[in-house]
Amino acid sequence: MLEVRDLDVFYGDAQALHGMALRVDEGEVVTLVGANGAGKTTTLRAISGLQKVARGDITFEGKSIVGRPGHTRSELGISLVPEGRELWPSLTVLENLELGCYAKSARKHRDESLERVFDLFPRLHERTKQLAGSMSGGEQQMVAIARGLMSRPRLLMFDEPSLGLAPVIVTQVFAIIRRLAREGLTILLVEQNLKKALEVADRGYVVETGSITMAGPARELLSNEGIRAAYLGL
Amino acid sequence: MTTTAQSRRVRLPGWLSMRALIIFVVALVLLYLAPTVLGLGDYLHNIAGLTFMFMAAGLAWNWLGGYVGQISFGHAAMFGTGGFVAARLTISSGLPFWATWLIGGVVAGLYALLWGHPTLRLRGPYFSIATIGVGEATRLVATYWTDFTGGSSGLSLPIGNGPTKFQMYWYGLYLLAAVVVISYWLRRSRIGLGLLAIKEDVEAASDVGVNPTFYQDVVLFLSGTVVGVCGGFYASYQAFIDPLDMFSFERSISFVLIGVIGGIGTILGPAMGAVVYIVIQEFLLASYPQLYLGLYGLLLIFVILFEPLGLSGLLMRVGRRFGIRPSPSAAAGGMSSAAAVPDQPTASVGAGSTDTKDGPR
Repeated sequence: MLEVRDLDVFYGDAQALHGMALRVDEGEVVTLVGANGAGKTTTLRAISGLQKVARGDITFEGKSIVGRPGHTRSELGISLVPEGRELWPSLTVLENLELGCYAKSARKHRDESLERVFDLFPRLHERTKQLAGSMSGGEQQMVAIARGLMSRPRLLMFDEPSLGLAPVIVTQVFAIIRRLAREGLTILLVEQNLKKALEVADRGYVVETGSITMAGPARELLSNEGIRAAYLGL
Repeated sequence: MTTTAQSRRVRLPGWLSMRALIIFVVALVLLYLAPTVLGLGDYLHNIAGLTFMFMAAGLAWNWLGGYVGQISFGHAAMFGTGGFVAARLTISSGLPFWATWLIGGVVAGLYALLWGHPTLRLRGPYFSIATIGVGEATRLVATYWTDFTGGSSGLSLPIGNGPTKFQMYWYGLYLLAAVVVISYWLRRSRIGLGLLAIKEDVEAASDVGVNPTFYQDVVLFLSGTVVGVCGGFYASYQAFIDPLDMFSFERSISFVLIGVIGGIGTILGPAMGAVVYIVIQEFLLASYPQLYLGLYGLLLIFVILFEPLGLSGLLMRVGRRFGIRPSPSAAAGGMSSAAAVPDQPTASVGAGSTDTKDGPR
């Protein structure tokens, strides 16, 4: 469904990605794990069209999407739940969700999509008129996920969904991801919380300094001695 | 599924509320009749016409400055372009005056696109600085382009084939009415929501499928066109224009002042701001011209320090004291379309807006 090949990305002179490569198949949950600054977010930004690509290719459902501007992604069926949530704090929850289905293909299904996300997050249904900025971090993360779903994506990407959240909320967020996966949504998950990410994923990639150093079924990675020593401190 | 009761009622488009429509029509009729009923006197009558024009220009500036959050210090470039194109057409062609305004406006809008398409990729202060450059460069070119603008001696318009100064009151009113409708539509439509998204977070807007380049270009074109039409109006009104006045930095600043004093991002704001601006301009500065910049500078500082939403913010604060609550995002100018939520439980509507601090789960 999504294939990233040989991707180089620069921030000015600094090279952030060195030949990054990964693949996500339909219906899979794939996770990209690694330390801070390894290039996980940069990879997602490149897929989202927010970051210029110097070399390499990104294909979605067989078609190259490199060089197409970021606002075309939601029409294609790719949606991002960004790091730090990036809601519109002075808009209401409902307005944030409405913006989620801004793309033409999603607009027709507005009511249907709203019903779906309210079913997933009943809490939001009670708070449609509240300003997004006045919600707790956990609730904001729910709004961000709901907004991401409003465009009816076929591929949903999460960037550090557990960042800055209380452990009990993190568990809830991962429960949501698990539920979406069970419903058949294809998910690309970037996460620093390696253990949680590998527990929910089918396959995983380990990123170090801009390229993949290890790949495999999530269960194998989780039991890999090197990974346990380097990332889990076991 | 339309029931008979529904089909008999007048159907309004989604962005227009019945209340707003009634207020708008009543205000329009009152202002239309005001000169005849009140007998304003020549001076006030003419100043009122000019005020309508400044309201329209301030609102148009606000589409870019308030709705998208791109503060332009160069709108005099479009004001002057529109004014001079309209003046040239009036002198050399037999076109009716309103057509010269419109053509002047469109030329100004296209000119805005020409410099705006590349510069709108900048945001915040960087964009503002670029607009200062554009404004000043345009002023200099216009001053030296004697064949077109008449250079520093300016252009005099032929008297007699346009509207009289007395009639300008109503043309100003029509112009303002049209601009108010566009402002309202821009704010309340889907486009308005997209603009707010761009204003607060360009990347997130792009993520959900809002095309920031396209929307910003459209808004700048509309804004430049209307300010250009205002320039044409001003040329007809004054019957004499010169580049130093039309393209001056003070002219650009006046649009910023009107927006900021009245309340950026709102509709009523720039309208009130224009009144304050004209009152200061005509009644204070006529007597104390040396205070010009000092007074405006002080005003700006006070507004930004104490009431960033200007007079609109002040009104909302007074309203709250008397228990009138605007919808939560009205301050930010969002559209409240909660009525369209599928099976919204009625009880939760009030609850959601009142207790904003419920703590984490």
